[in-house]
Amino acid sequence: MSDPQLWLAAAEIGCFFALVALSIYLVVVGASFFNFAAGPYAMAAALLAGYAGAHWGVPILLGALLGIALAVGISLLTEIVVVRPVQRRSGGAELPALVAVTATLFAIQQLAGTILGRTPVSVANLVPVPDFRVSSVSVQGTTAIIIVVTVVVLLATVVWLRTTSTGQLLRAVGDNHEAARMIGVNVARVRLWAFGISGAVAGIAGIVFAAKSGAQFTSGLSWTLTGFLALVVGGTGKPWAPLIGGLALGWVQVFGSFYFGATGSSVAIFLVALVFFAFRPEGLFQRKVRV
Amino acid sequence: MTTAVITTTRPAARTALGELGICLAVVAVVLLWMGPSLYRQDLVFLAATYALVALGMYLPFVLAGSLSMAYSAYAAIGAYAVAYLSVKQNLSPWWGWLAGMLVAGAVALVLAIATRKLSGFYLAAVTLLFAIAFEHWLGDATTITGGASGISGIPVPSLFGWDPPRYAQVVAAIGFVCAIAVMIDRLRRSAWGLSLSAARENAPAVQSTGISPTHLTVVALTVGAAIASTGGALFTVSVQAVTPETFGLDLVFLAIFMPIIGGRGSAWGAPLGALIVVGVTLNMPGYQGSGELLLAVVVLVILLLAPGGAIGWVHRILQRFTSSRNQNRR
Repeated sequence: MSDPQLWLAAAEIGCFFALVALSIYLVVVGASFFNFAAGPYAMAAALLAGYAGAHWGVPILLGALLGIALAVGISLLTEIVVVRPVQRRSGGAELPALVAVTATLFAIQQLAGTILGRTPVSVANLVPVPDFRVSSVSVQGTTAIIIVVTVVVLLATVVWLRTTSTGQLLRAVGDNHEAARMIGVNVARVRLWAFGISGAVAGIAGIVFAAKSGAQFTSGLSWTLTGFLALVVGGTGKPWAPLIGGLALGWVQVFGSFYFGATGSSVAIFLVALVFFAFRPEGLFQRKVRV
Repeated sequence: MTTAVITTTRPAARTALGELGICLAVVAVVLLWMGPSLYRQDLVFLAATYALVALGMYLPFVLAGSLSMAYSAYAAIGAYAVAYLSVKQNLSPWWGWLAGMLVAGAVALVLAIATRKLSGFYLAAVTLLFAIAFEHWLGDATTITGGASGISGIPVPSLFGWDPPRYAQVVAAIGFVCAIAVMIDRLRRSAWGLSLSAARENAPAVQSTGISPTHLTVVALTVGAAIASTGGALFTVSVQAVTPETFGLDLVFLAIFMPIIGGRGSAWGAPLGALIVVGVTLNMPGYQGSGELLLAVVVLVILLLAPGGAIGWVHRILQRFTSSRNQNRR
């Protein structure tokens, strides 16, 4: 418990969870809908970045841009082709949206596996930082990039939400899209922004984390689950809540698997989910409920 | 749900005859398709396994509207119960079938009570996490499950000392799926089934009549898990071995898709969807995985354009046909 190396590993994976959670958070706020396809966006972006590097000899920065563009593209497509029609027909009911997004998740995974290959892909680090030591802790270059990128992306997202008019309208649309439409907000456009930024965040998350862990077409599902869980633990009240949730979950995952093995960590994650979903589904940081 | 009202008013004898007719037709069609091909026999077994898992999910998912995704774990419990009792304890495999249903039902009961306040995304996520943790555990608990290599050499159950040949096993498997489908379809039309689907649409209304929606859902999840475990048990008859990866998460996704593809209006949509899924994923030219991609796309298209699935689609064509005939008569 006092090994700083483990704490660093927890922070690293926690940052990744936080980014996926942030991606889901943006769609929750804008469209009151948990986008389970966020993990597959991250996976697809990482796969494309790795694939472009290995097959086309593209430098990683360009590959990353391609990957992020792909993630944004499929995120927008999800909204236009799947979420919007299903929500319109079901009147915002939960189950049809859930089934549709599950099918989307599966479709993206299979599509990525079919086009980009089913073998694990390694992705180069975004910026070639050499491994270094801080007193007794050795820090890998990939770890440093993950943490720095998370902080930058989170700050940029918070600034976008707080200062731009689209960002400020996001919550209005998510809370009550009818009322927002009534006062003249272009609801469809605001939601497209939410999905687009969400896709970009997921893509960045996948690319920086894949430099550490590699990516495979099946990675998306577990990424979605931990991201969703991080969001539930953190709560949807504040844009930085996903970071707290992600770090907490990263801590459980790293220390759980260190002390109890892989089974112990998956059981611990399941128990965290059960406890939080049952007793505090609104998360640690909730926003005030107006009735 | 409008068809349910019409069918309940039919005389019981006619209903039973109709069900028998459907069952015989299903058995005949599947046997005709299978022919003497051993590969297709394996496919039929796989389709029967999928169909049982999908039928298990039918009650909670389609009727009660609560999407539990722990069904790969329940199928694994059924298979491991048969494997453990027959290989490690030298009991008849039939005890494994029974024990699997009881254990899967008990696990589902505990999980359903623990998650009774959850619905939608929360329920799906927590049950999926349970399925993942369970798969890890299967690989770890070496003394019971044989660890990562699983248990092999599972005997085929005999019937009063008679060891049925492979062909008879296949026929029995199809018959078993038909029997379960008839049972679930009757449950769907029963007062219990109607209140289950009413609770999905309007829980407060059901509660106000003195029925607890939570109770309905918990029972549906428990019964569904027991049925799904027989799917796992049936699979051991075909393959005679089981490993932690035998029932992966892909199975859960496919099982969600089956009633959607087949049609949600009737329990028969689940086995029909299972046949289509097996046909598309394993019996298609092209390389591995292209079938699953096609399925996912088909499901999205069905969700967006034809929510009735295959059965609903046929129904609509028949209705159009009969209504135009009626018009001609006039």
